[in-house]
Amino acid sequence: MHVGQVISGAAHVGLIGWLILGGSFQSEPLPFEVTEVSVISTDAFEALLSAGPEPAAPTEVALPQEPQVLPDPIETPTPDTEVTSEQPQPTPEPEPETLPEPPAPEPEPEVVDEAPSLPTPETPQIDAPEVADTPVPEASDRVAPDVVEAPDPDATPDVVEQEAVTNDDGGETQAEEQEATAPEEASDQIVTEAEEPSGAPQSSLRPPSRRPSAPTRTTQTTPDTTSDPQPAAQPEDTSDAVEDALAGILGGGEDETVPQGPPLSNGEKEALRVAVSSCWNVGSLSTEALGTTVVVGVDMEQSGKPVVASIRLLSSSGGSQSAANQAFEAARRAIIRCTRDGYSLPAEKYGQWKEIEMTFNPERMRIK
Amino acid sequence: MMFRLLLIVMVAFGVTSVAAQNGPLRIEITEGVIEPLPVAIPNLVPENAEAAAMGQQLSRVIAADLAGTGLFREIPADAYISQITSFIAPVQYADWKAINAQALVTGAVTVIGDQVTVKFRLHDVFSDTELGEGLQFAGTTDGWRRIAHKVADVVYSRITGETGYFDSRVVYVSETGPKNERRKRLAIMDYDGANVQYLTGSEAIVLAPRFSADGNRVLYTSYETGFPRIYVLDVGSVQQRVLESQQGTMSFAPRFAPNGQTVVYSLSQGANTDIWAMDINSGQSQRLTSAPSIETAPSFSPDGSQIVFESDRSGSQQLYIMPAGGGEARRISFGEGRYGTPVWSPRGDLIAFTKQSKGRFHIGVMRIDGSEERLLTASFLDEGPTWSPNGRVIMFARETQGAAGRSTLYSVDITGRNLRPVRTPEGGSDPSWGPLQR
Repeated sequence: MHVGQVISGAAHVGLIGWLILGGSFQSEPLPFEVTEVSVISTDAFEALLSAGPEPAAPTEVALPQEPQVLPDPIETPTPDTEVTSEQPQPTPEPEPETLPEPPAPEPEPEVVDEAPSLPTPETPQIDAPEVADTPVPEASDRVAPDVVEAPDPDATPDVVEQEAVTNDDGGETQAEEQEATAPEEASDQIVTEAEEPSGAPQSSLRPPSRRPSAPTRTTQTTPDTTSDPQPAAQPEDTSDAVEDALAGILGGGEDETVPQGPPLSNGEKEALRVAVSSCWNVGSLSTEALGTTVVVGVDMEQSGKPVVASIRLLSSSGGSQSAANQAFEAARRAIIRCTRDGYSLPAEKYGQWKEIEMTFNPERMRIK
Repeated sequence: MMFRLLLIVMVAFGVTSVAAQNGPLRIEITEGVIEPLPVAIPNLVPENAEAAAMGQQLSRVIAADLAGTGLFREIPADAYISQITSFIAPVQYADWKAINAQALVTGAVTVIGDQVTVKFRLHDVFSDTELGEGLQFAGTTDGWRRIAHKVADVVYSRITGETGYFDSRVVYVSETGPKNERRKRLAIMDYDGANVQYLTGSEAIVLAPRFSADGNRVLYTSYETGFPRIYVLDVGSVQQRVLESQQGTMSFAPRFAPNGQTVVYSLSQGANTDIWAMDINSGQSQRLTSAPSIETAPSFSPDGSQIVFESDRSGSQQLYIMPAGGGEARRISFGEGRYGTPVWSPRGDLIAFTKQSKGRFHIGVMRIDGSEERLLTASFLDEGPTWSPNGRVIMFARETQGAAGRSTLYSVDITGRNLRPVRTPEGGSDPSWGPLQR
């Protein structure tokens, strides 16, 4: 139990108690007036009513007279000018100009400069394929949520993609050298031998937008690689502002040493989920363990690394204890493996993620 | 008063909200990856001079077993940062984490005379702990491969949660010669194609050997007399005897019941073929089907209560299930093509089959109600599936096209991954996977 929670709880309980019981402890009675009243019987009350004067007969109400319609004082204006209804005269068509005589053909030059024979442009294949099945993805040793193309052979397999950095001898500033890394090649489903390629095209050739024109001599220009396109401006995320405001309301009474911050945004949660998913390998699990959902608790260090000793199985469903243990082992490996440098979690919100419960549900992995 | 009540409700709601915010962060992981688990298997440490070569041999077989499943990937030895030089020395987990080894097998071997002793430990590298306790196996030097298989079975079991299948044997038909002059004989081998031994000569054609549940006997069909007849062979003594059969009939496609006392088989009389059951001790037979169509290839459920078989009673070859004592059968296959040679999984949840469709043969699996059919292979000719003892792998025969076509044994995981040939000295067909050895 956190100190902040205790203080907050006590304060709230006190407030509720004051609101409920506060009225009983008012020291001075409010001033009030005393009015004398007498009790009478029903008969006396009836007698009082009957002794009063009778209500007067209703007077006749004069009906309102029908309003007279007054003559319209506004005179209809007369038009200043008369409107003629004549048809407009058509504009006479200009007389066609006399076409100039076509120029006489130039005499053929004596030196015959034969144009090189152009290769017949390849007719683009635009017909729909006879087999229109969905293309079958390529088989891969690794099955992951997303398809990953084969990486550069020099790249070291890693979850995070990064380019190689090598220091040039002539460089003035020396950057930290690093190896190129890339995610391993992966398919998003198991492809069996029986699922032979359907013949459906992976990408279709488009017809040319216009007839190919005669070749002209052009100067080969090198594309300008120096001007990088400006990345599109990202819409400003307003969720943080809302969460900041909420945190301001809810943040009182917490442990001062642990930065609470606002709750994690959906993006931050998603990043954590993806990081753990990429290391959750269910390939070596038994069929029963693949049908078992486990809830795993883990305490986190402020650096974003899990406290390995704190990883614990909280609950399981869908399988035997043995299967739950296997599923838990795979989940524990997933949590530990992908934290070489710690999970990328906002330090200012440490209080929100210092304890995490992860539910590993392999249901979708069974049908891969 | 109303204002006060409103305040109470608001404050109470506020307390619960704050409490919810202060609970642990909860996320759900529903997508993972399926890839081989990286495992390091250094050579077992020899504890005496006689064991020097044995340590490497053992580790190679263990590694081949695990990598052969497709569920594990061995990390090559030249990637190791630290070496295992002593079985009792503490493991430097950081060195193994650095090369992304998720599991580590360490062990030692001692050879004294013809006795070999192997002790080993399995480590969960990223948890800095051992996975289970250390174990020790002992046997003769001749049986060193079995010891390696047993170590691999334990490693496989502790990581996957399933029993292994490495210390098991397969009986099959070994084939030599061209298709029109093929010579066949019964052979038995380790699951990985090692230690092949021949059980019969190649004088007569032999077909469809089937292990008993205990792995001590084999049923098979032989044309020794010119007609197909069923024989039972004792694996230990290689003694065989013919099962009783009626005159003028042909009997084939035998299979043991799980109790080992009953044999089901097909019997042809004239143009009709039905399924029969025989008590192997008394020779008493019972007819289980009586349709005018062809019923054959019976296979028991693991509990012995039902039989799956193929029949063309609907006009095309399909799969049916009936009670073990005979009776009304229900059809379970409804896809396009012809289904045959059904085999019930040892787990009881799936049925493997051969399917012929659009000019190609497939090995596939379906649930016992016929749902979730999944084709695992496709080729010119795939047939004769058999299950590994743990129900995770299927072995079958694949024959290539042409007069010089050769029949080869293959195995495939039930997910359809890890299709690979089983190396045998000669061609092979009709495999039957036996139980784990004791």
